[in-house]
Amino acid sequence: MLALQNVTKHYKTSRGTVRAVEGVSFEVRPKSTLALVGESGCGKTTIAKMILQLERPTAGAIAFEGADTATMNAAQLKNYRRQVMAVFQDPYASLNPRLRVGTIIAEPLLAHESPGRAAVEKRVAEVLDIVGLPATAARLYPHEFSGGQRQRIAIARALALRPRLMVLDEPVSALDVSIRAQVLNLLADIQLEFGLTYLIIAHDLALVEHFSNDVAVIYLGRVAEAGPTEQVFAQPRHPYTQALLAAVPQPDPDHVLNEAAAAGEIASALDPPTGCRFHPRCPLAIDICRTTTPEPRGTPHQAACHLVEA
Amino acid sequence: MVLEVHNLQTHLHLKRGILRAVDGISLSVGEGETLGLVGESGSGKTLTGLSLLRLLPKGSGRIAEGSIKLDGQELTTLSDSAMARDIRGRRIAMIMQDPMTSLNPVFSIGDQVSNPLRNHNIAHGATLRSKVIDVLTQVRIPSAEKRLGDYPHQFSGGQRQRIVAAMAIGCTPRLLVADEPTTALDVTIQVQIIALLRQIQADTGTGIILITHDLGVAASLCHRIAVMYAGRIVETGPVRRIYKSPAHPYTQALLAAIPRLGDKRARLQAIPGQPPSLIDPPTGCRFAPRCPARMDKCAEPPPTVTLADGHEAACWKLA
Repeated sequence: MLALQNVTKHYKTSRGTVRAVEGVSFEVRPKSTLALVGESGCGKTTIAKMILQLERPTAGAIAFEGADTATMNAAQLKNYRRQVMAVFQDPYASLNPRLRVGTIIAEPLLAHESPGRAAVEKRVAEVLDIVGLPATAARLYPHEFSGGQRQRIAIARALALRPRLMVLDEPVSALDVSIRAQVLNLLADIQLEFGLTYLIIAHDLALVEHFSNDVAVIYLGRVAEAGPTEQVFAQPRHPYTQALLAAVPQPDPDHVLNEAAAAGEIASALDPPTGCRFHPRCPLAIDICRTTTPEPRGTPHQAACHLVEA
Repeated sequence: MVLEVHNLQTHLHLKRGILRAVDGISLSVGEGETLGLVGESGSGKTLTGLSLLRLLPKGSGRIAEGSIKLDGQELTTLSDSAMARDIRGRRIAMIMQDPMTSLNPVFSIGDQVSNPLRNHNIAHGATLRSKVIDVLTQVRIPSAEKRLGDYPHQFSGGQRQRIVAAMAIGCTPRLLVADEPTTALDVTIQVQIIALLRQIQADTGTGIILITHDLGVAASLCHRIAVMYAGRIVETGPVRRIYKSPAHPYTQALLAAIPRLGDKRARLQAIPGQPPSLIDPPTGCRFAPRCPARMDKCAEPPPTVTLADGHEAACWKLA
């Protein structure tokens, strides 16, 4: 469905080159969910921006159903854009407060088609119904809705053009615990109903395990580990994934956190460590980790670590 | 008891009316004890914390009723100047969520960690400097002595939160109010701050109120939990009881709504609806409109039922 091949993104700044994304490859299978996980600054949002054509890769290719987005002409790109939609983290920032909900949802329709007024209204009412809001919601403004309802509106807007792929950037992390489950269940329902493919960006590992089929763990712009979610969570192979999982507090007072899992903090992408980028924090690092960048090993469950056997 | 709060009511006077943000809560914190105040946004947990420090929004925020006792001393009747001189930052200190906003970007961290120590006459001159270095070392800022002149932006996010903690513990407060202290941090840094809070408590015996929406963080740090919903405490008890045998339907629903590692349920148990408005809250149980076990009786205020030693819940189902 969507394939990234060696995608790299560097930003030139006055202080040097920020190596935000470095040679990232993965594939999102049709009608499945791939999760990108990692800590802030690891490059996961930059990857999403490149997929959404909001940023251009410095190197590498992003292909949608086999066609390289870099070589698409204007008409093909427009078609790509209508098939790939996004839902962002903060529904207070992603909905224009001055527009009525009906207008917000109609915007992508009007940008891509020239439907009649009746057709627009019909589609707006349809997608509102899909996300569990009444048709009368179209006449109201975003501030008249709660956070969870606003995120439903953002989902309705993304659905308006019947996309095939949705990029979900932390879609529930701004919502309350009791509302999160509502929105996650809704996303799962519409994925099934409309055969959607999801790329979800999240930092909540329990949510990722629950929600995704495949996962790619990103550390400082590189894929540390990737594969079927079940395998990666059951048998994490990269020391970074192991540290991440050991650090998640569990809603269980008997669970013991591994407080020594990953010492120190993520390095700067301005001056990433040589070799394996995780080596300064890795409890298992050996000499080769400091000098040589590890290649991904194993398939379909791969880990980029010198200590992992292929 | 370090802290005893009885029937605290904190109101926000807004144009739309009086918002009963904290509506009659009682709680206590013992020496060396961590109490988790758990709830969702708008449940009143942050305003409870701010009420303890009398840091309510100017003009609109008011403690309408109730008592707050620190080591037996009533705080609600204390003058503003006595509160600033003897209590705030001295005997009750606070750690807020975002270290970027609680540190001043134009002062060095040496300055900022010295401030509470100087203001509360804990140390001066050369002793002040060595005390600042001690506190920064205690929160594990490496080579603290060389970094006193550095500014907040020269530290990482995790280190900034350590510096905020240093400011809070410098005067060895009796009570530390930590409001979502790890929410802005990545998970591998979060675990370091959790360890730090535990170490601070072991070293100083301070009581901690941990305000959080994260049931995982609360489970890993707290001895007791108070679950807040719509301005009230619906259930309180020892941490094991709350997680292993939650009694209130809201606590049960909350624990069922979160995905857990290693748990492959196909569907999450969503809680339908949303919390009520606190300007005109329902008279009875405030969770009743969303509650799967709702009965006719729930239109009346629920009784507080004692289920075991220190484990209480306010629910008609348990009466």
